[in-house]
Amino acid sequence: MKDGSDGTATDAIEIVGLDKVYGQGAGAFRALTGIDLTIRSGEFFTLLGPSGCGKTTLLRVIAGFENPTEGSVRISGEEVAHLGPNKRQVNTVFQNYALFPHMTVAQNIGFGLRMLGRSRTEVAATTAEMLRLVRMEELAQRRPAELSGGQQQRVALARALAPHPRVLLLDEPLSALDLKLRKEMQGELKRLQAETGITFVFVTHDQEEALTMSDRIAVMSAGRILQRGTPHEIYHAPTERFVADFIGDTNFLTVPVVSVEAGAAQVELPGGRTAPARLPEGARPAPGAKVTVVIRPEQARLVPPGEGEMQGEVTSSVFFGTDTHVHARLTDGQDFVLRRQNAGELADPSPGDRIGLALGDGVLRVLKD
Amino acid sequence: MARRSFEVRRIPGFGAIAILTIVLLYVPILILVTFSFNAGRSQAEWEGFSLQWYRAAFANEQVQDVSIRSLWLAIAAAGIATVLATLAALGTTRVGRFRGQTLIYALVNQPLMVPEVVTGIALLIFVASIKVATGYMGMGYLVAAHTAFCIPFAYLPIRARLETLDLNLERAAADLYASPVQAFRHITLPLLVPGIAAGFMLGFVISLDTVVITEFVKSAGQDTLPTYMLGQLRRAVTPEMNAIASLFLALSLVVVTAFFLVSRRRGA
Ligand SMILES: Nc1ncnc2c1ncn2[C@@H]1O[C@H](COP(=O)(O)OP(=O)(O)OP(=O)(O)O)[C@@H](O)[C@H]1O
Ligand SMILES: [Mg+2]
Repeated sequence: MKDGSDGTATDAIEIVGLDKVYGQGAGAFRALTGIDLTIRSGEFFTLLGPSGCGKTTLLRVIAGFENPTEGSVRISGEEVAHLGPNKRQVNTVFQNYALFPHMTVAQNIGFGLRMLGRSRTEVAATTAEMLRLVRMEELAQRRPAELSGGQQQRVALARALAPHPRVLLLDEPLSALDLKLRKEMQGELKRLQAETGITFVFVTHDQEEALTMSDRIAVMSAGRILQRGTPHEIYHAPTERFVADFIGDTNFLTVPVVSVEAGAAQVELPGGRTAPARLPEGARPAPGAKVTVVIRPEQARLVPPGEGEMQGEVTSSVFFGTDTHVHARLTDGQDFVLRRQNAGELADPSPGDRIGLALGDGVLRVLKD
Repeated sequence: MARRSFEVRRIPGFGAIAILTIVLLYVPILILVTFSFNAGRSQAEWEGFSLQWYRAAFANEQVQDVSIRSLWLAIAAAGIATVLATLAALGTTRVGRFRGQTLIYALVNQPLMVPEVVTGIALLIFVASIKVATGYMGMGYLVAAHTAFCIPFAYLPIRARLETLDLNLERAAADLYASPVQAFRHITLPLLVPGIAAGFMLGFVISLDTVVITEFVKSAGQDTLPTYMLGQLRRAVTPEMNAIASLFLALSLVVVTAFFLVSRRRGA
């Protein structure tokens, strides 16, 4: 448990070459493919991806409810393939909470410690501490059925935190809550993580939640991890079309490559101007090849016609209050959406208006094919 | 409230059929109970209220004898059947799908599908050969036969309850360091209690009630309450039988009511 001979003892979770296939023969379904993942100790790590991409499956493999078909899982440096869920220092907050209906809030929270054989006084003390941590002292004697969704959520959290696991797995813990409570619990979770110092592996399909809460994010699709990085990296430097599309709004432009230097390419924008675009690692497209570049809507500025890198004609404007989304058709017919901050009381452009689009420095990214 | 597109109440003749059914079901029982309080011997003419037939029934040593036998037979058979049915239910819901699962399901429920007379005759032949071979003539045969017959009735409510239990509860227990045995003891079993109690009570009522199987399997002097009553009725019909039947009915009602109350207590 503490040998750490390979120098990775500080990594909370280390997954190498993980495959998971459900079922056998004709009914077999490959839920995870070639997952390599390292989660550092003390990190708030998020698995982000659409429904059915394998997030829950990955959590279940880590928790020990499912055996990997291939590959290895290490928790704090220890290979856990042979360990049942009750032998892993990992606790789970289930998507539907899974509180024990026949026990009170306090009994639910103390369950893990009782199973670990801790003394009565220790169970009582830790339970009280957890109740305080999630602000549920008054409701300690209630049954789960007598709690609101948000309160059940807190109990589930407290129950999973009470044994002080090395890693806490949270499977879309906020998805059942309404927007306001959700925002509140997001803050609560961050606070709990900071106070306990426990590694959190958080699952969500909500990109905004992932961006605001995580130290690092892994974006999943169809059983694979497509990209991992800090929220900034994922947002500003997506390497795959899926990632760029899934997180935030994005413009995709197909453009020819003019020349290639180390790590960047000059591409020809619609209308003929050239601009530098950063290349993904290892990519070296040939001059003349068509590549896809991404630009976020807020990374282009509205300028008078004739100015800026690209020219276009407005097709529609949508007013959102804080900003206006301007939809335009570029000179070569590709569509582009631009987000303009409404710093003052500005008139929205009308359909048919000619506009110029100015791009910030170094905002263009080339995607992997 | 939204109107439903189909209402059974609108079928022509629904009311008449409903009333007829209720009359056929309950009027005979009502008459039986009524005449158990009759002061005279008649089953048709009311001669005043009296508890004499109840007194006679209670004083009748044979009745006491068969009642006690019926009760402990029902408790033993339902008890053993409930344990076995719980294991069967766990075995058919808590492991992954395996070959022969449907076959096992069919086997467990066999007594529901095979006519009771067939089971009875089969048991008669089987038990007779064991009696010859071993010389054992005790109650064991009846207990075994009743147990086998009660298993499906105990199995169904237990299985139904297990199927509604969230598997994540057991996962959560394991996640919180409970061994499989601890998870069963602290989570599965307590949540299964309503199903188990319902299964036991159903088995109890079924065993108390079954005539055919008992008739075929019992040795001399092993009458249960229903077979004793049948034997008596062949000779003479006295209101004493009405009294016994009424008491029997009361006991069944108590058990069925308890069954209802227990199975309604969900999730608690
Ligand atoms: N026990 C199982 N047997 C067979 N296939 C399964 C099983 N569990 C999940 N799957 C399949 O594996 C895939 C991934 O499922 P998983 O539950 O991990 O998705 P998810 O990313 O958690 O989705 P969601 O956001 O909807 O919870 C899905 O296509 C699902 O149908
Ligand atoms: Mg899921």
